[in-house]
Amino acid sequence: MNAPWKQFLCRACGLIYDEEKGDPDSGIAPGTRFEDIPADWVCPLCGVVKADFEPYDNSLALTATCATSRVVRETGIVIVGAGCAGWAAAEAVRALDAHVPITMISACAGDRYHKPELSIALSRGATPDKLVREKAADAALRLGIRLLNDTVVVGLSPGLHQIRTTRGSFRYTGLVLAQGARPAVPAVLPADLCWRINDLASWSGLSQRLRGPVKHVAIVGAGMVGCELAEDFARSGHQVSLLDTQAAPLASLLPPAAAERLKHSLENLGVRFLGAVQVAAVTRGENGRKQIVTACGQILEADEVVAATGLVTDSRIARIAGLAYERGVVVDPATLRSSAPDVYALGDCISLNGMPCRFIEPIAHQASVLARGVLGLAAHEGYRHRPPVIRLKTRLLPVVIEGLPVAGGEWRVISEDADFLAMEQWSAGSLQARLNVGTPRRQLAA
Amino acid sequence: MNPADATPLIFDASWSDSQVMERVTTIADGALADAAYRIDHEGHYPLDLMGSLGEAGAFAAHLDMNGARYGLALDAMRAISRRCGSTGFLAWCHDVCGLYMEQSGNPALTGTVLRDHALGLSFGGTALSNPMKALAGIEKMLLRATKVPGGYRVSGALPWVSHIARGQYCGAIAGVMKDDGSRSHEIMFLLRFTEDVVLRPCPEFSGMEGTSTWGVRLDDYFVGEDTLIADPARPFISRIRAAFVLLQAGMAVGVTQGCIDSMREVEPLLGHVNQYLHDRPQELQAEYDELGARVSRLALTPYDGSKDYLLEVLDARTQGAELALRASQSALLHQGARGYLMHSAPQRRIREAHFIAIVTPAIKHLRWEMARLSKEEMPA
Repeated sequence: MNAPWKQFLCRACGLIYDEEKGDPDSGIAPGTRFEDIPADWVCPLCGVVKADFEPYDNSLALTATCATSRVVRETGIVIVGAGCAGWAAAEAVRALDAHVPITMISACAGDRYHKPELSIALSRGATPDKLVREKAADAALRLGIRLLNDTVVVGLSPGLHQIRTTRGSFRYTGLVLAQGARPAVPAVLPADLCWRINDLASWSGLSQRLRGPVKHVAIVGAGMVGCELAEDFARSGHQVSLLDTQAAPLASLLPPAAAERLKHSLENLGVRFLGAVQVAAVTRGENGRKQIVTACGQILEADEVVAATGLVTDSRIARIAGLAYERGVVVDPATLRSSAPDVYALGDCISLNGMPCRFIEPIAHQASVLARGVLGLAAHEGYRHRPPVIRLKTRLLPVVIEGLPVAGGEWRVISEDADFLAMEQWSAGSLQARLNVGTPRRQLAA
Repeated sequence: MNPADATPLIFDASWSDSQVMERVTTIADGALADAAYRIDHEGHYPLDLMGSLGEAGAFAAHLDMNGARYGLALDAMRAISRRCGSTGFLAWCHDVCGLYMEQSGNPALTGTVLRDHALGLSFGGTALSNPMKALAGIEKMLLRATKVPGGYRVSGALPWVSHIARGQYCGAIAGVMKDDGSRSHEIMFLLRFTEDVVLRPCPEFSGMEGTSTWGVRLDDYFVGEDTLIADPARPFISRIRAAFVLLQAGMAVGVTQGCIDSMREVEPLLGHVNQYLHDRPQELQAEYDELGARVSRLALTPYDGSKDYLLEVLDARTQGAELALRASQSALLHQGARGYLMHSAPQRRIREAHFIAIVTPAIKHLRWEMARLSKEEMPA
């Protein structure tokens, strides 16, 4: 039996003489053993002589490869999202580390503004320029961060510490997801006919339309944002219809007595509330106005339609990256770390114990805890979530809720007069929430 | 060996994935690897090898009639591209042409005609570079059609179309013009390279010269019912777009794998200095594995029409191109002077990776499209 073919390596240029293949160009037939090659044969590549070849053992290749460990290079912190949460994270990380490279990726312009102001801005005569507190480029310069705006994240591979965007791929040592939440709009409210007021750009678009003559605006959804927008647009002189599947505004949060007061207060401003209706379709009429048809057969014509039907966290990035997701990116309630190493999240996109929390107040605390984690510093104290105080920014009838009302809890009236209603919700013997609706008379007098 | 167990010579739908891969790999690692230099440097158009690969099932697996095995089609393209990126591109051209024919549902383009195509008994490519960009709003549609009794007349010129020759064919799209000069819709058809069609040699490219790439000019070329793939073309393109792009990932991973091979090849000799390079083989291998796993998952649902799915496919295709670029660059650095030799695989793969990065949809088009798909629509 023939001995296996051997290979010989040119020590000068690395060419490999393979006995099986020979060197036909130099007249050495395939199958010529190395020792049978004439002594005057030279390397076909570099011309050195036969004696400069040495046996080559290809099987070493794999062991040599495995012997080298993988090198992870410093690549810095990448923050996805330039809303309140993203900027808070950037501030917190920079406060702890003056030098770490920070890259911020934002699908929008990234200018800093206070999102809750959008739902009360029109009647205050705000403009997009006035709402911006700091331009993105200025904030990036001040904090020493690289900003990629109008850039969308399209892929995330936690195992590789790689994030992919519409402007290229980046490696990170720590990643912060602050992507926020997007409007949850039912299919009957088409995107090309219905506004969703969830960022400065969309607010700017709608406010442009609402300048000038009186318009009829139909708002679908009487949650917090729907109620605030209804008051704001009515105060700006527009004709407003507010539609909801429930019989009263904010009915999922407020007991009937409180919701009724809110309804009256909105109606006093001229808002037409249509309760217990289901929108079946929104279409564009021949006159260019929008027609809303309800399941019960009512037809409403409006110049503008606004969907205020709640928010949902986009699950795409979490799904692609294999992050645990339950109504939001699942994070450790103490550290805000996601299920993947070195990936943290805060703000509207997370869920804590299965619950999203879409308010501004907790963000600053979340950012300071998260910053330590993402920089690999020992935590001083973990994050402790408390339900934020909920304030409905309706000026005529302020509504404040402390604690988190639960379904089926018992509401008790604490004090009540024509301008003010104080209630408490109790469940299983413990106080769940306090509610104040309106302003007590003595404060009004003061 | 029992002769009854031997794999028959020509692929049929009963072949298992491993039977196909065994045959394809044998050809790719043998005759194709040997021919790679000639294909790249002499512009040799390897129709003989394409025929063998066709018989081995390399271009048939993804078709519905063979079980829509996209994972297998991609794996075959990977094995081919690992040895020769040009032939990997021919494989992609051939695969998508088969896809158009089958999905057309046109009896004149399925049956025996499709079977011959799938088995590499006849050859055809794709001329969708311009229309794909035109439909995405990147450039203007170059072929124009007018309605005539029994079909359409098409005129116009396409600068470069690959895997075509006299007697071959390709999928093409033309904008149908109304009398007022505006475009009413688009048609997709199988363009046969008969004597009516002018084929013009292209200027020399820096690579991929063995892909039989020509300039095509049509002058009142008649398109009848028997060659129509889709009328209108847009719904058809929407349906096959993700599959069209996903298949290209096979080229990217194959070239990347070839690059990693080249790095490993010199590890025993040069590992002591190569350790100072970045994009080491094990780093690239980790990314190759991760991308490969994602592509395999995407290959299970090539006709998922959702926006999220399309975004994932575009991302994987982009990542593949970026990875091939990095890997080819790094392979050359790992091999040093020997990788810079004219006959070496690393310098060839640099040009192959550049091609993967610029062939439609190029990295910039992919990013443009992902940005477009991600935009939120607001009332106009």
